[in-house]
Amino acid sequence: MKTADIVSAVVMLVLSGVVFATTRDLPYWADFAPGSAFAPFWVAATGAVLSIALLVSALRRPAGPPVDWPDRTGFQRVILTAGGLWAVIVAAPFLGLVATAVLFMLFLLLVVERRRLLPSLFTTAVTTALVYGVFVAWLGIAFPKGLLGV
Amino acid sequence: MIDALASLGQGFQVALAPMNLMFIFIGVCLGQLIGALPGLGPSAGMALLLPITFGIPPVTAIMMLAGIMYGGMYGGTLTSVLVNVPGEAASVMTAVDGHKLAKKGRAGAALSVSAIGSFLAGIGAVTALVFVTPPLAEFALSFSSPEYFLLATLGITATASIGSGSPLKAILMAVFGLMIALIGTDPILGSSRLTFGVTELLDGIDFLPVAIGIFGVAEVLASLERSYDSEPIKTRLRDMWLSAKDWAECRVAILRGGFLGFFIGLMPGAGPTVASILAYVTEKRFSKHPERFGEGALDGVAAAESANNSAAHGALIPMLALGIPGSASTAVLLAALVLQGIRPGPTLLVEQADLVWGLIASMFVGNIILLILNLPLAPVFAALLRIPYEYLAPGILVISLVGAYATTLSLFNVGLTLFFGMVGYLMIKADLPRAPVVLAVVLAQLMESSLRQSLMLSEGSLVIFVQRPLSAILLLLVIGSLLLPLLNMLTRRRVARRNRREGSISIATK
Repeated sequence: MKTADIVSAVVMLVLSGVVFATTRDLPYWADFAPGSAFAPFWVAATGAVLSIALLVSALRRPAGPPVDWPDRTGFQRVILTAGGLWAVIVAAPFLGLVATAVLFMLFLLLVVERRRLLPSLFTTAVTTALVYGVFVAWLGIAFPKGLLGV
Repeated sequence: MIDALASLGQGFQVALAPMNLMFIFIGVCLGQLIGALPGLGPSAGMALLLPITFGIPPVTAIMMLAGIMYGGMYGGTLTSVLVNVPGEAASVMTAVDGHKLAKKGRAGAALSVSAIGSFLAGIGAVTALVFVTPPLAEFALSFSSPEYFLLATLGITATASIGSGSPLKAILMAVFGLMIALIGTDPILGSSRLTFGVTELLDGIDFLPVAIGIFGVAEVLASLERSYDSEPIKTRLRDMWLSAKDWAECRVAILRGGFLGFFIGLMPGAGPTVASILAYVTEKRFSKHPERFGEGALDGVAAAESANNSAAHGALIPMLALGIPGSASTAVLLAALVLQGIRPGPTLLVEQADLVWGLIASMFVGNIILLILNLPLAPVFAALLRIPYEYLAPGILVISLVGAYATTLSLFNVGLTLFFGMVGYLMIKADLPRAPVVLAVVLAQLMESSLRQSLMLSEGSLVIFVQRPLSAILLLLVIGSLLLPLLNMLTRRRVARRNRREGSISIATK
């Protein structure tokens, strides 16, 4: 966890710097009241102080248990799932959100998780019916329709 | 007191309307299932189902979401006892003894005492809620902007100091949440902040993509790392019967756990997980057989389960009376109110009496439904645990995406949800607490606007925060909540130093 704490502290330090740098042109005080940069300044300052405190405490303590990363198979599953999720956003305007979601479910069940075909088809059908019934039929949400018209 | 009871009667009329009753039932059933699913907690489930509530009236929506919150406390027991995997964090202590009992053939007794304990503690906590919420809300009507700023700050700092884990990391994550909330247009002067030229960010980042991403998507990704094909221990209806000896052993544990859980639930940041751990440790101290704890103590299970359900209900008091959420689940509930166009705060009880009292009455009804679901129907729910989690995960992810789209009808929001899902996954890996991020996102606007209004009133003088006794007390509490972790750290260091010194003396004398 020592490395994770160091990385977390550095990321938060950078984010604090970004908040400070991108809001420094805004007024800190406007006439008689705090301006738009007031809150960002104090949030960035607090973030920087706490990040440095976390960094120092992580550097001073002996190495603890490492981060609980998954094994190779687990890592592959997470990466492929995350990739599939991002692919849904890219493909949704062309294929439609519901159609892309169906493809994503089948990809996850059959390719990533290597589940059996029939239960996977059944799960996909039940989920699609649920999404359609609740969001389209009941709530009347208009999802992006692609080339397939669904 | 009479007024409260009359209002409660009115609340029952609202809660027992057929449509509301149906959604309470749906809520508690979903909560039971979500609680039972490893890797998906009640806050994640509530966030995922928030978009669905747009199609139903606010009162019904809040009743259903609250049902998921306390239903999750009941559901978590099933997986803890039968599979030895806590369905949600508040059931960790139940898994310790509950599964040992199940291995000894006493799964039914463990499930039964959990259900009865949760029910009694839940009903007790809701009764307390009936009488505590109105005077607290009336008292809070005298609050002005300095008090609101300090109260919101206390909500965040107390999360860090009372919650489990590193206080430093918790406050740092709250700062991360505040950074997310800063994105968009300044609520007072209208200038854009941290938008980097992206027009979609001008409206700011909504609570939902953050909550669905950080809780829902992140938890599913983390649970996909390994396979959950497990064989739950079987239980039958006739095993659910508690003997007179069991009952005698557990009744005081239920009472103690219930009281402790309620008071811990009241504190911002503590929540059901801390409550169940503290109740378990306290029960071990009071037990005539402390050696049984860890090996299958029925009173340990009773105390932990009573405490977590009682805390889940107790946490609603600051949310309903003050508009300040004390836990991730109540933060989602508060966000649901805002999304439904309802302004939370002390005036909620006056302006939305039907909603508040209907919600309180619904919790009496919901707890009765859950008792029925968990006593005679426990074996049925236990059978559901045989469905491999891998079949459910893709469905949860698809509902997350579709739900995120439904809130704003924009794919940009879906992208934000995924982004926060990845961030949440990395936070799980780096052992960074996620609840403070969501709490800070919810409280940020109140914090900033009330701070700036206070300084506007005082023309920049900080004296306004100590001018009124109430704000001075709140300021002291904020300072105290920041100093508490520091004092704990210094005490721990002193004890460690003393232990080292004593160790070296004993080695020298040998």
